[in-house]
Amino acid sequence: MILTRETAGGRWRIRPDGPGKVTGRLKYLTDLALPGMLHGVVLRSAHPHARIRAIRTERAAALPGVRAVLTHRDVPGLNAFGISRQDQPVFCSDRVRYVGDAVAAVAADTPEIAERALGLIEVDYEPLPVLDTPEKALSPDALKLHPHGNVLHRSEYRRGDVDAAFAECVHVVEETYVTPRQMHTYLETEGGLFVPEPDGRLTVYAPTQHGLLDRLQLARILGVPEEAIRVVSSPIGGSFGGKDELNIQPYGALLARATGRPVKIHHSRRESVRAGLKRHPMRITMKTGIDASGRLLAHRVRIVADTGPYATLGAEVLNFATEHVIGPYRYANLDVEGVSVYTNNGMSGEFRGFGGNQAIFALEGQMDRLAELAGIDPWEFRLINLRRMGDPGPFGQQIAQTDGAYQVWVKLKESPLWRERDSLKRAGEASASAQSGGAARPPWIRTGIGAAMVMHGFGLGYGIPDPAAGRLRLAEDGRIEAIFGYEEFGQGLFAAIEALMIDTFGIGPDDLRIVVGDTDRVPDSGSSTASRTTAMIWQALRRMEQPFRRKLLEAAARLTGRAAGGLTLAPGGVADAESGVLLIRYADLAAKAEETIGAQVHFHFPTTDLERIGAHFLYSYAAVAVKVEVNLLTGRVRVLDQYHAVAAGPVVNPMGYVGQIEGGSGMALGFALLEDAVMENGHYLTGNLDTYLIPTIADSRGTVAVEPVEELPEGDPYGPRGIGEIGSVGLAPAIAEAIHEATGVRVSRLPVDPALLIRRPEDLWKAVDGR
Amino acid sequence: MVMAFGTPGRDPEVLRPRDPAEACRMKAALGAEGVFVAGGTLLRTQWESGAAKMPGALIDLTALPALDGIAEEAGALVIGPLVRLSDLVRSEPVAAGFPLLAEAVRRIGAPSIRNLATIGGNVASRTGDALTALLVYDAELIWRTERRTETMRLEDWLADPGAGEGFRLLAGIRLKRAGAAAGGRAGRIAGGFRKLGRREAFIPALVTVAVLGRLTEDGTLAGVRVAAGGGSAVPSRLRAAEAVIEGARVSPETLVRLGEAVAGEYRPASDAFAGAEYRRRAAANLIAAEWFTLCAPDRKEGEHDPDP
Repeated sequence: MILTRETAGGRWRIRPDGPGKVTGRLKYLTDLALPGMLHGVVLRSAHPHARIRAIRTERAAALPGVRAVLTHRDVPGLNAFGISRQDQPVFCSDRVRYVGDAVAAVAADTPEIAERALGLIEVDYEPLPVLDTPEKALSPDALKLHPHGNVLHRSEYRRGDVDAAFAECVHVVEETYVTPRQMHTYLETEGGLFVPEPDGRLTVYAPTQHGLLDRLQLARILGVPEEAIRVVSSPIGGSFGGKDELNIQPYGALLARATGRPVKIHHSRRESVRAGLKRHPMRITMKTGIDASGRLLAHRVRIVADTGPYATLGAEVLNFATEHVIGPYRYANLDVEGVSVYTNNGMSGEFRGFGGNQAIFALEGQMDRLAELAGIDPWEFRLINLRRMGDPGPFGQQIAQTDGAYQVWVKLKESPLWRERDSLKRAGEASASAQSGGAARPPWIRTGIGAAMVMHGFGLGYGIPDPAAGRLRLAEDGRIEAIFGYEEFGQGLFAAIEALMIDTFGIGPDDLRIVVGDTDRVPDSGSSTASRTTAMIWQALRRMEQPFRRKLLEAAARLTGRAAGGLTLAPGGVADAESGVLLIRYADLAAKAEETIGAQVHFHFPTTDLERIGAHFLYSYAAVAVKVEVNLLTGRVRVLDQYHAVAAGPVVNPMGYVGQIEGGSGMALGFALLEDAVMENGHYLTGNLDTYLIPTIADSRGTVAVEPVEELPEGDPYGPRGIGEIGSVGLAPAIAEAIHEATGVRVSRLPVDPALLIRRPEDLWKAVDGR
Repeated sequence: MVMAFGTPGRDPEVLRPRDPAEACRMKAALGAEGVFVAGGTLLRTQWESGAAKMPGALIDLTALPALDGIAEEAGALVIGPLVRLSDLVRSEPVAAGFPLLAEAVRRIGAPSIRNLATIGGNVASRTGDALTALLVYDAELIWRTERRTETMRLEDWLADPGAGEGFRLLAGIRLKRAGAAAGGRAGRIAGGFRKLGRREAFIPALVTVAVLGRLTEDGTLAGVRVAAGGGSAVPSRLRAAEAVIEGARVSPETLVRLGEAVAGEYRPASDAFAGAEYRRRAAANLIAAEWFTLCAPDRKEGEHDPDP
């Protein structure tokens, strides 16, 4: 059943943080200001690659109104950061490796003075050759960007003998797929307010996806205990992975510490483009062969990822891509190698989909090409090779079993959009201009329908600390507090917690207080990443449900003189289980209870037992169909209709579920058709949103039908699977196939270049005339 | 947030001239340090990207209400340069007499930009999308200098802006009504404007094309005018394309000849996002498609394909 406001019925709740956001009433952290606060700015490198000979700050420091000018000499602790590997300097001392590298920072009375002071800082650079492609960086005579060289990470997976198997193949497809440097383009650019407190602590009001990890990283940089820092990190105006790593926090914290005054930093969009993370551009070469019946005999993959100057999560992204170029299929022989390469391009890092977007685009492209060669319907071809319930994971590892891949395969096959394709095919018109809504299209408009399968692992995977935790508490004022170390960045965290709390305990929304995004108050729940948050909250509540309910009922029993067994939790308070009559309000319970009523839990995200870093245990699956039209006059592609089947267990919050898939597909549409942060010689050509193009509402036409498959195997203990990323993956390969259906042209590079699809005038009019 | 343009910490002086002559005097006195500004939407993007420095003084043309408004003249419409793009789109005389201009302007920027930006700024930029439409209406530009007023055909000005450009001020855009122009032949004036961008909306043009002519009884176009521009290309009339269309019937052969003519004379811009060859093909295809559509026998009155 398609999930809509109507089909969801009473579970379609207005999200609690919605009205404040859509009216603009909500204050984000970058909206905060304090009297007497200073304004911080960062001096970024003038070159993509250079030695620093000297840095002179005297003239800047002498400018009236300037309160601090900091360089590498002013970092009391570790002059480096990075979630996984700390190889990114807070301030560069002898070398800059990309145009976003920080050389100095200024705090001043006004933004204008701060900006002027930046212009007075003198840096003597000696430009070095720019390694602006992974190929250049890998060449033996390339300068080393880091002591260990220019390879951040290699990954590989092999099974069987692909060379021998290729000799047996009836059809082999070899293709190289190239994907763009996509930008997260959150509405709220990086920023925050940094406040030295009277007790000597520092409060950081700045977005992140893991407040406790920011606290750890900042403590290392400042050389103070973690407890001396408080990070308040929600609400956030969008992140998509882009704010998980530190961005402005080191500079704000150091400037606040140096001046003893509150400091605000907020990136312009141009600085956000220059310094911020992007999706890893990847070049993925695949050679894949099948036997006469369409079975995959051999799959060879080579992945080259441009990770930019520093590590952040580049290794983890490559591991994820390595797993997902294998994807949801069975192969007789596998040979996968990946390399993540340091370059002088922009920083690549975490981004919704985490390497899966690039991997699945390539893999699904292979499936469509092979199906065509074999003369098999592309969807039926996938079924021949699809892993089924009971099969191990992509690395042969033990996984939590579901039949999600098959379930979404069936749903898509039965979907109206795919049936429309079948009927077009039968009429022999699939690649010709179709009739739609009764109106004839001009002869240069061609339509096509394509589809793709998606597998997406969630959680951080084997071998990576992936803690989960939660706390419930009846607060003094009678509110039931749900306390988690997760962050709200637009994904609907509050709505998910509210829905789960109401569904679990039968309390009302007014009985609840959600506490997140404050390291002084939350347990270490792990990061709000990797599509893990809702699943971890569900699992935490499952563990806390009985003890917390029992404590509440027992306290109520003592105070009301009733037997606990006859009581139940209800909106407003504890009620008689049979009559539903309210017996004691939560506020009275809190006031009269002898001890604090609460529960807490710490556990680890479930993992596989295969000892392979990053290998997943839990997976979601999706199948995506899309209808596009291609204008042969211009080569431009328009998405007309989408269908998404998603197998991810029970739907926690219907509106949020639809929103995640629709929002993800909007990002995939941009990835497929528009978005690329183009670089030349290590400089961005797309410095702002006038050249870096995200889809407008006019580009986002048609319907997005979302059909959840909620059913899980009997006795499954893991509950809802992650859906935060999976919607961002499948649309791009489906669009590529739909373009092929419409025009006969195969696309292997994103975003799609209209120059590939535009018809030359002489061909166009022959085609038009021939119809 | 710190903006990256201008002299840090210093705003430009804003000068409010009392009449066009004074505006010209101010410009003459300031030279490059003084810049005419009305909506300021294009200037802002140039300052932000670093393509232009914020000058020492802005000569604020919105102080000159005489340059605003749309006036009827004998056989012509005169559009003041201060008319906002959003007002131009809403203008009934423009929609009735010069629909391609309304269509071109409707697709510039986004609503917030059209509320600020003026038609004068679009024309003065020499690459504005409105120019392609204005060219097929054979518009005239009325210029004020310190001492006098002079009129120049838009096409001539685009081909050669002449000396002393900086010291004159655009005072009006004159559009002659069709009835007064060609005369003689029967039939309806028909035309189309198409814009190609890298995105569906809120996007600068890669290519703009406009086609205008009078439908004849035998289903051909007469008095044909074709223009094309887009990006940093200065829009121009395409005479060879006009010659192919004039009086000819749509057929695969003539369409191909048209494509060759366009390819031969259209000088597209080129940048990192779209090459010249792509733009040349697109211009040829869009002009041909417009001709094909205009002359299609089943074309209904008022029907048009809203998108390229």
